[in-house]
Amino acid sequence: MAQITDDTRGEVKQIVLDFFSEECEIEIDDITEESNIIGDLDGDSLMFLELIEIFKKKYSLNIELKTIGKYAVKNPVQTIGGLIDMQMLIIEHENNILNL
Amino acid sequence: MINNTAFIFPAFITEYTNKELDFLRRNNIDIDDYIQVASQVIGEELPKFSYDSHDYKRGEFLSQVIAYLFSCAISDILQKSNIVPQITAGYSMGIYANLYAVNSMSLEDGIRLIKKAYELVNEISSTAEFGMGAIIGLTYNDVNKLITENQLDAEIINVNNEHSLVIAGKIKDIEILLNVAKEEGAFSVGKLTVKTPYHSKYLAQCASGFKDFVNEIHIQDAKVPVISTYNQRFFSDVKEIKKELVYNLTEKINWYDTMKKILEGNVNVFYECGAGKDLSKIARFIDGEYEIKTVYNI
Repeated sequence: MAQITDDTRGEVKQIVLDFFSEECEIEIDDITEESNIIGDLDGDSLMFLELIEIFKKKYSLNIELKTIGKYAVKNPVQTIGGLIDMQMLIIEHENNILNL
Repeated sequence: MINNTAFIFPAFITEYTNKELDFLRRNNIDIDDYIQVASQVIGEELPKFSYDSHDYKRGEFLSQVIAYLFSCAISDILQKSNIVPQITAGYSMGIYANLYAVNSMSLEDGIRLIKKAYELVNEISSTAEFGMGAIIGLTYNDVNKLITENQLDAEIINVNNEHSLVIAGKIKDIEILLNVAKEEGAFSVGKLTVKTPYHSKYLAQCASGFKDFVNEIHIQDAKVPVISTYNQRFFSDVKEIKKELVYNLTEKINWYDTMKKILEGNVNVFYECGAGKDLSKIARFIDGEYEIKTVYNI
């Protein structure tokens, strides 16, 4: 399980913003925590999966995509802020996220 | 660094970037000229293209035609720009534009093949209610297990990447499979807007009729090798092209294996020859040091 520090959310946020800026060809300054992932950024579910893989490698997470998928279906996110919060939960709880 | 280049051709356009027409205009190409050629072959006046055109978005046949025409137009531009690939591949119905781009057949004959294939598969889709769907977030084994456990008349007919699969079969079973896949943890599932189970076992009965038609078409050796999405073999001669045309309609394909095979040849630049950027999107989970150029950044 990854160590969560005061800096972790900032780190996660930066990775998420960099990722969407590159994938969606949008200036990073134009992406906010309120940006709607599909409506504003033209994001898709494969991007979400790719982000999970990025965090899985970065924080050496023990997670199964299916488990995260089950959580995501029950707790859908629409905004960048919501996505950052979910990534924080994944980092903190890994496969136990379903028990939250 | 020397670029090893591949051209890849999409089958359908799920979403336009809305930059396609600008790109064509900048290169002095009008898509309506291509539509005019298609109209003559089909024998009816096709509507002029607009991004909002219902005909080109919803009509199964016309959506294939417009995807083909955009791909041909874009490959014409690349050819004029002296961008030459080392290898080419067509995703499903993308094979027709692929064969046009490698000078194996004319623009008109591509339309004829699309039309004939559509007529043949239509005979099948009138015998029962079929459909297709996409599942994102489960593996091949996960989905196969769901099919077996639920005794569904559905098949995985294409693997886009490790986490993205395409299924086909009886529509009721497709709907059940999409539901159980969601329950199993798929991030996203959806029905495709087609009534034909492309690449499924049901298409086997089209093989003979399509083969006969392919034999009537004037096909030449490909000037650049093509890779099969059916069994990932390389080919360029007429005999193999004809075989592949039939396989491509009636057999399962595997885009993931096809891309991996291309990458084994040290390709580092792909040109997505078509409208939209569907192939770029599904390449996300295909490992390798490469970039895919779309009409956005050509």
